[in-house]
Amino acid sequence: MVIKTREQGNIAVFDIEGEIRRTDTVEETLHSLVEGQLNRGRRNILLNLAGVGFIDSFGVGQILASYISTQDLGGRLKLCRVSQKLLLIFQITMLDKVLEIHDDCSKALASFGTA
Amino acid sequence: MADGRLERFLRRFGDIRGREARTALAVTTYFFLITFAFYIIKPVKESLLIGNNPAWWPYADLATALLIGFVVALNARLLDRLPRRTYLTASLLFFTACLFVFWQVFSYYTQRQFQTPVVDSSGTLFLIWAQSVVVRSWPIPVIAFCFWSDVFIAMSITQFWISVNDIFDPHQAKRLVGLFVTGGLLGGIAGSAVAMVLPQLRFIKLDDVLLVVPVILVLAMIMVNLIYAGRQRVDAAAGEGRIGPSARVGYLESSRAVRRSRYLLLLAGMLAAAMVAGSLINYQFKAAVRSAFEDPAMRTSFVAFFFLALWVVSTIIHLATTGRFLKSYGIRWAISLAPLILLGGMAAVFLVPASVVLVWAVAVRGADKGFDGTLSQSVRELLYIPVPADVKYKAKIFIDMFVNKFATGLGAGLYLVLYHVRHFAYRDSQPLAIIRELGLAAMIFLVLWLVLTRLVYREYPAVLKSDIRRLHKEGREAVADHVDVDLTLKVFNTIQSRERSATLYYMNVFDLVRSKDLTPELRELLGIKRDEIKARAVDALVDVGGGTFFPGLEEALTDAAFQKEIDLVFLLPSYQRIMDGRLGVIAASSSELDRIEAAHSIARMAARPATLEALARLLQDPSPEVALYALSSAAVHRRPEHIPLIMRLLANPATLSEAQAALAAYGPGSEGLLAGALRADGTPLEIRRALPEVLARIGTQKAADILVAELAVRRDGMEPSLIDALYHIRTDRPQVRFRDKDLRPELRRLIRSACDVVLEPAGAPEESRAALEIRLRRVFDLLTLLYPREDIVNDYQNIRQGTAKSVDYALEHLDNLLEREDKERLFPLIEDLPPEERLSRLKKALRLK
Repeated sequence: MVIKTREQGNIAVFDIEGEIRRTDTVEETLHSLVEGQLNRGRRNILLNLAGVGFIDSFGVGQILASYISTQDLGGRLKLCRVSQKLLLIFQITMLDKVLEIHDDCSKALASFGTA
Repeated sequence: MADGRLERFLRRFGDIRGREARTALAVTTYFFLITFAFYIIKPVKESLLIGNNPAWWPYADLATALLIGFVVALNARLLDRLPRRTYLTASLLFFTACLFVFWQVFSYYTQRQFQTPVVDSSGTLFLIWAQSVVVRSWPIPVIAFCFWSDVFIAMSITQFWISVNDIFDPHQAKRLVGLFVTGGLLGGIAGSAVAMVLPQLRFIKLDDVLLVVPVILVLAMIMVNLIYAGRQRVDAAAGEGRIGPSARVGYLESSRAVRRSRYLLLLAGMLAAAMVAGSLINYQFKAAVRSAFEDPAMRTSFVAFFFLALWVVSTIIHLATTGRFLKSYGIRWAISLAPLILLGGMAAVFLVPASVVLVWAVAVRGADKGFDGTLSQSVRELLYIPVPADVKYKAKIFIDMFVNKFATGLGAGLYLVLYHVRHFAYRDSQPLAIIRELGLAAMIFLVLWLVLTRLVYREYPAVLKSDIRRLHKEGREAVADHVDVDLTLKVFNTIQSRERSATLYYMNVFDLVRSKDLTPELRELLGIKRDEIKARAVDALVDVGGGTFFPGLEEALTDAAFQKEIDLVFLLPSYQRIMDGRLGVIAASSSELDRIEAAHSIARMAARPATLEALARLLQDPSPEVALYALSSAAVHRRPEHIPLIMRLLANPATLSEAQAALAAYGPGSEGLLAGALRADGTPLEIRRALPEVLARIGTQKAADILVAELAVRRDGMEPSLIDALYHIRTDRPQVRFRDKDLRPELRRLIRSACDVVLEPAGAPEESRAALEIRLRRVFDLLTLLYPREDIVNDYQNIRQGTAKSVDYALEHLDNLLEREDKERLFPLIEDLPPEERLSRLKKALRLK
């Protein structure tokens, strides 16, 4: 899994590529990276999942932990370009009712401004 | 006599119905004539035999035992070749001709001259030769006459019962058997009276008594032709009761039929034991009569008087008690009464003095023959009822012709052994001692007879049951065999959910996948592949209820790893924390779809307070669809605090079934809570009515006990659901036990309420009929709790929809199964009776005026 972080205005965008699995040992998890941004004062987080081929429950947990951390600080975490498979997981677990998911990342970025 | 009057007259002697009166009378007369003829022959035969050396006595029986097989073989061959009517007529003609021959021989021996017209010289030579043959061979002609009379009665009786089998079905025969036996008894009385009086008339010689018999046999021939005149179909080879030419019924074939069936073997054994005992009793009787009478005419008159008295007493007892005894005590006791009483009588021989030995012999032989002609005969015929017609025919031939005669031969053999070993020839002056020694041997066979009656009775219901087949599967069974109701509902919900939202659809498909229900056929049915194509084609432009179909759905959802990941998501602490905060909001959402999805997902969520609280809220949702999904989730979590909420949903027809399923999912341990609601006065009736089914689905012994106890409370409007539930338990949980003392009063109350429908009909006749049907169904449902379910269901189906024969078997089975009081009240309701007859029987059974 490769996570690139970029900033777009007051939004921290995480471009994630590869697979998010519990078996992949990485030094920094998605959650720790999001927390890093939160610690730096960023409150708007966008997870771009366009390059994610597979995500397991560990990956979903990372997303949810990031969501909670952001929410706790009064911030907003949104997702864009979610694969059909991941969307299916979100639908079955009803997380699509909780998480804000956009098909298009630019629209997601724009939604931070309007929300 | 008009049919109506004839029927009324005959009904004094038996249960005559419909148009069977004329045929029944003809058959009864046929039996009357046969026994009339035989009981003229029999005293003459016995007197002739007793007058000869006792060492010869058993040879008559041995001759019968050894030679009867050839007669039966001939009988079988003639039966093969001749139509029944022709065969019976020819047999009677043959016996008539034989009688003239014996009369001629006996006349010669007693008067030393032939009573013939004028003869020429060659005829004189023949008469001289015949004279020397008869004198030198005496008492062989007597032995031959005894053998011939045994053949006559054995064949005539068998032919009579075969004709009954041809004409009537088993249940009809059972009803009419009393009338036939009455005819036989009257014939016996008439024959004995003739045989008693004629020898005392000076102008009639003893041998001339036999000349009355041909006249009677000619009348019997006329009767046979009358009976079969309207029964051409019986003579046809394809007839049910007719054994076709292909069926060769000889010794081997008939014995094979008996050997194949344990029941028939036991029956044959029982009858053989009875016959051996009867044979030994007969020798005791002969010994007592021989010591008391020397004059042949006196002896013949006494023997005839014995039979006359026997028939009179038997007739009175038969008319007064046989039917009643059978009805009241059933076959079980009717079958045992004769050996029990004879055993007691046989023991008494060791106490009686020599002066009253004739009285004792008359009493014991009278009892033996009396039972044989009345109760035991009726029981014997009943015991054949469950045997298939073709097997019965063969078995009857084997038992009546071979087993009986073999047993008589065995009795004769035993007598011969005792005669020589115990030197009876030198103890002519000690008849009592001889009779006692024969008594010891007879007691052994009486005990054997008694033991075999028990074994036969034990087999009887099983044999009867084998004739009653299931006509159709019960609704529940048929559905269960062909349809998985739960799966069908799931599939239906899944298809329906497609119209609502993709999310809900995926949730449902995921459920199907997780429960391993998503078979390839089902996948095709759900149109998952078609949806993929559709989704690709329109490229997610088709928005179904706010979502798009996922083209890789099939592969994704059926992937075990993927399923596991979804399950793990539900367990994530972060997921649970998020849902703790959001589920309540979603459950209170104004969007019905959101609430439905929430209600559905809760099933997979951990049982946290927020989840359970949301579930409670969703269980009270005004939307039945939301409530349905919430019920499914409640069935998963099974929290006691949800029970009252689920119970409320029992009142709504839209959620009733799912609410019952949800409550049933609580399983064993929840019966107390359900019983409380069932008994609480405040529980609305519609909820109360739905609870028994829940207990039935739980299906524990405790649940069954609660239902039985509640049935005994007799609360208004509860009976149908309680009985349905109890029947459900009986069907699904055969291990659950029901106590007779708890259920019998309810069964009787239910039978009584069914009787009331007939006694006090309300509304149109169709309504009364329908009401009776419903109550009878409940009666049979309750019967399944007390008796083997499969048998009762078979009986019920056959009584409602079976053929005439299967109805008879079912009734006969119930007759042997049910308690007397229940039978008396239930049978008038289920038998095919004219309305007035039904009413009169019910009143009698209920002791109403």
